[in-house]
Amino acid sequence: MVQTIKLVFSNFKYLLFSSVLFSSMMIGLLILSEYIFLEPYVVSHIPSGTELEFVLIFIISVLSALVIPMNIFRINLLKASRQKMGGGIFGSIIGVAAGACSCGPVGFAVISTFGSIGVTATTFLTNYELPIRIIAIIILVITYFTTIKSLKIECKINP
Amino acid sequence: MNKKGVIIGVIVIAIIGGIAASLPSSSEPENLTDERLRGTISTSMGSPILGDPLAPITIVEFGDYQCHGCYNWFVNTKPAILKEYIETGKANLIFVDFAFLGHDSPTAAQATYCADDQGSYWDFHNLLYSSHESQIDNGWVNSERLKAFAFSLGLDMDLFESCLDSEKYSKRIQFNNQQARDHGVRGTPGFFIISSDGQQQIIGAQPFSVFKQIMEPMI
Repeated sequence: MVQTIKLVFSNFKYLLFSSVLFSSMMIGLLILSEYIFLEPYVVSHIPSGTELEFVLIFIISVLSALVIPMNIFRINLLKASRQKMGGGIFGSIIGVAAGACSCGPVGFAVISTFGSIGVTATTFLTNYELPIRIIAIIILVITYFTTIKSLKIECKINP
Repeated sequence: MNKKGVIIGVIVIAIIGGIAASLPSSSEPENLTDERLRGTISTSMGSPILGDPLAPITIVEFGDYQCHGCYNWFVNTKPAILKEYIETGKANLIFVDFAFLGHDSPTAAQATYCADDQGSYWDFHNLLYSSHESQIDNGWVNSERLKAFAFSLGLDMDLFESCLDSEKYSKRIQFNNQQARDHGVRGTPGFFIISSDGQQQIIGAQPFSVFKQIMEPMI
């Protein structure tokens, strides 16, 4: 597993992409979930009782930053199928969507734009935020291990 | 003579109609004067003032009882603001409803004013946030639960139930929601810190340090 990760991330391009992906996902999700505020001052805090959500955001960001570059590596260098890439992106998107729609500006915009359908969507995404994030993590973990397995076979890496 | 009688009759009916139309119905906001104008916000339909009404700073909170961010602010930031600014007479707080999240949100907001009729607005408000559940519209602030909250506070249940069931304060909530929209509030909780120097908006359940940084120069 370590060898496979080394193989992908020894290429500076993929390391850089992974870092940018992690930072942007982590910061973006922290802003959406109101752990970071930009106005009137840049300030971050973890309200008590929301530690688990913070940890889940961190895990989703780490897994997305691992899985997506590894799949791009497979597609670019090995011309492999894009199927696993879809799993990584799908996992990341539902992980992001889970926390985005609450009583913050995104939830408000969804409700204002889509009316009662928006209320239903926001309610669903808020009420099931935790299970949705856990499902996203499971999807990303499965994608991660299947990608590692594929890379081992396709690149003929010996453990 | 007949013509004159018809004209007088029409005039009398028009006057009576005009007077009737100008009288407020029971579900309309009772008092739309600007006697509680804070900055550019009319808080006349909001909560009673918490703290000294003459304090140099007013904090206007736009909130929804089903909003988890509002609950976070209530638990993590509000106690320090109460201690440092409200109890010391440096600021007062007015809660204005922005009940947009779910179907039970406006009902919960109306219930607080039904409690206010019996002088228990803040007790009811605090009880709702203390009993907060993070799920929207799962029944924790439906009509039955709101009545149970009122019962637990020892309110007159006949008065409370008739108030809540008649939706007496529905237009009050609509008025408050419109105040929020007119002031560019795009989510809850949203705050305005208002003093004689002007008003500053704070978006979201921000920590005490942010409020302190804004309020200290205003005192």
